[in-house]
Amino acid sequence: MADEDKSSPFNESSIFDWMKTASDMWLNMGQTMPSNSDSAFSTQTAVQNRFTQQLETNFNLLKSFFRMMSEPGSASAAASSVSALPEIVLKMASSGFGAAMQIQNHLMEKAGNIGKRTEAYNFDNLDQEVFRALTDVYEKELRQYLKIPPLGLTRFYQERFNEMLDKHNLFETTLAEFLSILYLPLEKSFKVLQEKLQQMAEEGNLPSQTKESYGMWLKILEGHYMNLFKSKEYTDTLHRTLNKLEDFLIAKNDSMRDFLQLMPVVTQRDMDDLYKEFHLLKKRVKELEKQVGISSNTLTVVK
Amino acid sequence: MNSTRIPIDLILERMAEDAEKAQKRTSKASDVLLGELNYELGSTPYEIVYEEDRVRVKHYFRNENAENKLKTPLLVVYALINRETMLDLQPDRSVVKTFLQEGIDLYMVDWGYPTRKDRFLTIDDHVNGYMNNIIDFIRKKHHVPKINLMGICMGGSFCVMYSAQHPEKIKNLITTVTPTNFDTDKGLLHVWMKDIDTDRMIRTFGNIPGDLMNFGFLLLNPARLMIDKYVGFMENMDNKDFVENFVRMERWIFDSPDVPGETFRQFVDDCYKNNLLIQSKMFLGGKLVDLKKLTMPLLNFFGEYDHLVPPQACNQLTKASGSKDTEDVCLETGHIGIYVSSKFQRQFAPKIAQWLKERDQKEIKQEPQVKREQQLQGSTVNKKPAVKKASMKKKAARKPKITGQAPPRKSKLSLIQKISEAI
Repeated sequence: MADEDKSSPFNESSIFDWMKTASDMWLNMGQTMPSNSDSAFSTQTAVQNRFTQQLETNFNLLKSFFRMMSEPGSASAAASSVSALPEIVLKMASSGFGAAMQIQNHLMEKAGNIGKRTEAYNFDNLDQEVFRALTDVYEKELRQYLKIPPLGLTRFYQERFNEMLDKHNLFETTLAEFLSILYLPLEKSFKVLQEKLQQMAEEGNLPSQTKESYGMWLKILEGHYMNLFKSKEYTDTLHRTLNKLEDFLIAKNDSMRDFLQLMPVVTQRDMDDLYKEFHLLKKRVKELEKQVGISSNTLTVVK
Repeated sequence: MNSTRIPIDLILERMAEDAEKAQKRTSKASDVLLGELNYELGSTPYEIVYEEDRVRVKHYFRNENAENKLKTPLLVVYALINRETMLDLQPDRSVVKTFLQEGIDLYMVDWGYPTRKDRFLTIDDHVNGYMNNIIDFIRKKHHVPKINLMGICMGGSFCVMYSAQHPEKIKNLITTVTPTNFDTDKGLLHVWMKDIDTDRMIRTFGNIPGDLMNFGFLLLNPARLMIDKYVGFMENMDNKDFVENFVRMERWIFDSPDVPGETFRQFVDDCYKNNLLIQSKMFLGGKLVDLKKLTMPLLNFFGEYDHLVPPQACNQLTKASGSKDTEDVCLETGHIGIYVSSKFQRQFAPKIAQWLKERDQKEIKQEPQVKREQQLQGSTVNKKPAVKKASMKKKAARKPKITGQAPPRKSKLSLIQKISEAI
């Protein structure tokens, strides 16, 4: 192993050589720059002068860094850290891979339950775990990135924008759950129809017209929907979807307002304030008209 | 082993026939759809006689030659959801036309399209504001102390509230598919509304969008309203009359104004969640809505197969009212079938006209000498109902009449009728 380490491309002697060469090259380059003669200064603008000085400082910094790195102790530390690099990369990759696999396993576990929920006309205890799992994954693994506290002057704008993205993602997952529930009666009705047709076929009694089969299917579908709509699961999901939609719209409006305020446009909040004042004022006028005995009707007869 | 007798040849033959028919239909349908179609709604002529903010009042021209013309004008108040054009959907299915032919002087409220500025309007603003102004306007125009009032769905609830707070201005009250009892889980809407967070909805939307509500209504029966309806259209799209009527219905259904936010909040919270109206515990403008003050004759229609406002939501009103002259009529149809199905065209509007005429004539016999101006000043408020006891429906024996019991669900219904019953 020790021999292998010595034969490593990052051995100290090669780094010394490389650093010395690089250092010499950059210093020589620096020396080829025009000298700070009086004539040169007189033709340089203030900006150019500042640039030359900055370049010189940088060269000196580089020079001192190379000198420090040329010392045997520093070079050896650098070489060992470079040798450890593949190990670090491997560790990072394996932890990331592990997290990804965990999420996937979690989803697969939940998704495996989908097939269990196909009992006809029964919508109690619907297994919508896969959607909850999606929401879970989003809330635990991704959402935190949108919740990193924004900093600086624009922090409130960033916060509202992130809030909008967050609410949008939550609405999307809930909507997916709601739509999947709405699809269930279709799936179940086809299955029931298939069974019914099979039974009729066995009895030699198959409907001869497609319209008859369609009518049968429609009745089955209607029955399934009626049962679904009465279930608590459906009502809960409906309300949850509506709530998430509202959350998203509120966050979207807040974020949009930030953009609108940059433009000479009146925002909805400004208008609502105005409308409210207008409404109260109108009520007061009507009340006063009543008290004074003036007709509040603004009658217009159009012929 | 049982031998099966599947008529494969017959099935294949029918399928071939169907395919041929479909091809012919499609070819004819392209002529119909690309040709000139008339799908205008509300074609009966009217004039706008009153305007206030977004609200307008339509006055229709009645048949002046009709027998037994009604002396008392009738004001129809539609819901804030959808539009009043439903009463004049197509020339041969128009409640408006029937009323005019029967000699009814007809006014109808057009609530218009609320905008963001209307979001703070409450039920009180609609009932004691707009409706009160309109009713005063009609009373003044006709020199009568009272008018007849008819409400539809939510508009009916408004009419109940108004009549309870201003009984001196209403001669006869007709409620149709009007929810007053909200403590029922028969209609899905009643179930879903119980858990709605109205504050959040209003904060989000301001006014409640018509499209959102329409989506909710479609979800009440997706099999019929989102699938079967359009299958029916495909099957009949070569029939010009059918297409025109279908498009009319489609235009009406999806012509849904937004509902002012504060009105929605109060309707859901006071009615759907707390059921205050039927218990006479609801307040409007700081005043109690006491249903015992509904002392005028009351005719109450509802649909047996109504999914939006089930019979249980409507049939408590007559019992809760203070009127001695009440009648419940339950029709075997859905929420809008009462107004648009051809079958009920013969049972609904003519029945109302007859009912009003009976009460119009009787009251006139007792009140002919009263000076109109005096009446307008409110001096006749304490007059007792003039309907003879014999014609009254006894409250104890009050069982709703179920009309239209011919077998409509087994017979071949028209698609429009099926749609109207599905809603």
